[in-house]
Amino acid sequence: MQAEQETIPFIQRVTAQQPVISIHHLYKSFGTNAVLIDLNFLLNKGENVAVLGKSGSGKSVMIKCIIGLLRPDSGEINVLGKEVTTLNQEELDRIRVRVGFLFQSNALYDSMTVRENLEFPLRRHWIQITPAESNEKVMDALTNVGLAHTVDMMPAELSGGMRKRIALARTLILNPDIMLYDEPTTGLDPITGREISQLMAELGEKYNTSSVIISHDMNCIRTTADRVVMLIDGRCYTEGKYEELKKSNDPNVKQFFE
Amino acid sequence: MVLSKTWQNFFRETGEMSRFTWRFFAHGFKPRYEFAEFFRQCFLIGYKSLPLIGLTGFILGLVLTLQLRPSLIDYGVESQLPAMVGIAIVREIGPVITALIFAGKIGSSIGAELGSMKVTEQIDAMEVSGTNPFKYLVVTRVLAATLMLPVLVILSDGISLYGSYLGVNIRGITSFNLFFKQVFDALSFSDLSPAFIKTFFFGFAVGMIGCYKGYNSQKGTEGVGRSANSAVVVSSLLIFIIDLVVVQVTDILGLN
Amino acid sequence: MAKRTFNNIKLGIFVLAGLVLLIFALYMIGRDANLFGSNFVLKARFENVQGLTAGNNIRYAGIQVGTVRRVKILNDTLIEVTLLIEERMKPFIHKNDIVSIGTDGLMGNKLINIVPAKDGSPPVKEDDILATKKTVGTEEMMETLNKTNLNLVLISEDIKNTIRRINSSNALWKILDEPTLPDNLRTSMANIQKTTAEANEVVIGLHSIINDVKNGKGSLGAILTDTSIASNLNDAVAKIQRVGDNANQLADELTNLTRQVKQDVNNGKGTVNALLKDSSLVIKLNSSLVNIEQGTAGFNQVMEALKHNFLLRGYFRKLEKEKKKEEASINKTVSMP
Repeated sequence: MQAEQETIPFIQRVTAQQPVISIHHLYKSFGTNAVLIDLNFLLNKGENVAVLGKSGSGKSVMIKCIIGLLRPDSGEINVLGKEVTTLNQEELDRIRVRVGFLFQSNALYDSMTVRENLEFPLRRHWIQITPAESNEKVMDALTNVGLAHTVDMMPAELSGGMRKRIALARTLILNPDIMLYDEPTTGLDPITGREISQLMAELGEKYNTSSVIISHDMNCIRTTADRVVMLIDGRCYTEGKYEELKKSNDPNVKQFFE
Repeated sequence: MVLSKTWQNFFRETGEMSRFTWRFFAHGFKPRYEFAEFFRQCFLIGYKSLPLIGLTGFILGLVLTLQLRPSLIDYGVESQLPAMVGIAIVREIGPVITALIFAGKIGSSIGAELGSMKVTEQIDAMEVSGTNPFKYLVVTRVLAATLMLPVLVILSDGISLYGSYLGVNIRGITSFNLFFKQVFDALSFSDLSPAFIKTFFFGFAVGMIGCYKGYNSQKGTEGVGRSANSAVVVSSLLIFIIDLVVVQVTDILGLN
Repeated sequence: MAKRTFNNIKLGIFVLAGLVLLIFALYMIGRDANLFGSNFVLKARFENVQGLTAGNNIRYAGIQVGTVRRVKILNDTLIEVTLLIEERMKPFIHKNDIVSIGTDGLMGNKLINIVPAKDGSPPVKEDDILATKKTVGTEEMMETLNKTNLNLVLISEDIKNTIRRINSSNALWKILDEPTLPDNLRTSMANIQKTTAEANEVVIGLHSIINDVKNGKGSLGAILTDTSIASNLNDAVAKIQRVGDNANQLADELTNLTRQVKQDVNNGKGTVNALLKDSSLVIKLNSSLVNIEQGTAGFNQVMEALKHNFLLRGYFRKLEKEKKKEEASINKTVSMP
């Protein structure tokens, strides 16, 4: 309860800039299991926020609510000035063009080549695009992640790190304003994880995206995040810069830095 | 009244399946239409199944002929062999066996494919990419299965009858023309039409169950395996139930 | 992209192949139902259609020309059958052609036969009513067959009775069945011979008694002086001798018969077979058996009478004793090995 009272002024203090995502009083439960309880969250333009929390603390549920994959029980989710919870399918799709989502398991389509994977969001969102333009965008995106040579390969032929990069390229191909990363380094070895984290930071800067990074990989958070929000039991427990939290004496915070 | 857990699950699943089916009819025929994916699925589900179904059909016709032959000789009606095999294949064995093979091949592959797409978040990715995964994945597959199985059954019937023709010629001699004339003389519309119409239902059941099981797959690779497995089991069972219902309905309609 | 186009071409071929096959099947089936091609309608009226239904075939002089479209009841004794016949057959079917109901094969479907009339009347027109012929239906055929069956039952009943009588005549079957017949015959022969021998002894005994009597010797001589008794006794002896001769003759006959029977048995034909084959033999056998019976019965009577004659009682007792002794010794020799 004490943590909750603390968070609200905290957020207000940082809202000097234009928020691209703002969440107020978000509740979400699955059956009798309450996952998100009165969650409040803000993401400002150009800001990279890491959401830290144990498994099952509702981090993934939060970003799935943002993108409209899950419908919250109650609360407001405002993305780029639109209220996600009240949008119809078409409007939701229009928001989704501008919000990229990197899935934990990459979600590359197994039945398609890398090229088809990258073309998929292009073709689905922008119906009018010439094959030449499409090809150019695909090659650009692949070059950005350094995997231009894999364009005609199948996802199953690629290593875990490569797949993560392809997934990143696919997410970035639409030049989104906001990036949502769902545990981007989970399941990768530390070196590859570091590479991916650096790539995320690089590309974020290049395309000037705001991002929400869900992770419990402290290296990744340190590399990519400007600010860290801690979720415990479906609530914002505390937030601050990486260094600030690292110095914290709160046992709940400290356990992540050990 | 307290229901056991098994019964609860059974009723819950039946309810969910009905809702899934309703969703198919509610969303399936509204734009946007996924034509490219539909044709791709038709190719994969229909054309790619032809070798397997053709082979089983051929063997079925051949074996049925060789098995029936001694009994018919005992009764001295060997000349009725083409007629009997023709009716057996066209009315019942062709559609049901083809549908079962189809359930084994397509039901499991749809169940496994959608199941793995579900657990690796590909379905979510699709939704995020501005695509209705239900329309893109489920509607196309169910329609493709519904429309391709009848084509497969017709082709398989033809191949079975050819196998039967060869079977007759292993021990006796009959001309191609005579054989098929005897077959078609024995057949009537009331043999062909209910058998043909029920294949649409078979195909629909296989596609629908495969998609439902895959779409509602549990997390993990085990869940995918279970989806594929139960898709085959449930759709095979449904094929027989539909077959039973069709027999009753055609009986009532006086088509037999 | 090129691959997708190629796949779609394959898919197209696949679906078209299915459709073509379906249409082909429909056409092949429809060929008989006359859904394709032009037809005309004829009618025929029957009292009984014997299970004819819509869809049954129509044959003109044995050629498939159409199908039955409808079977309609006009009134309680008349049924109208509508025939759907191919247009091309129109010039060949004449107004006085005769329509009958037949069966395709012995157990096949009912069909309509149009039997051409050969007197060159004008061809039929649409909706003409053709004359019909009542044909023998399966039921009538069955009725006739039933009568035949009943007759057969009567006949077989008669045969059965005859055979039963033959079977129940124990005497014949005993003779025919008896595998020991030759042996029995032999033993009866032996008996007869023995009897004859005994008779001879009796005769010899009587002779000596009579001589004694004639000479007036012994106790009898004293009592019996009357010569009439002697002559009576002589008569009796002569009778006995005659019987003995008869018995001899019989014995010869039986020996022959036995030899024959034995031969049959040895040849594996079996007495029964041989006897059945040769009915005269049966009769012969019967009569000889009767002869034997009569002969032995008559002889027995005579012997019995002699036994009871008090005059010879003592002699016969002696004989019996000796016989018993003999039998005992025979039994011993039989049981010994």
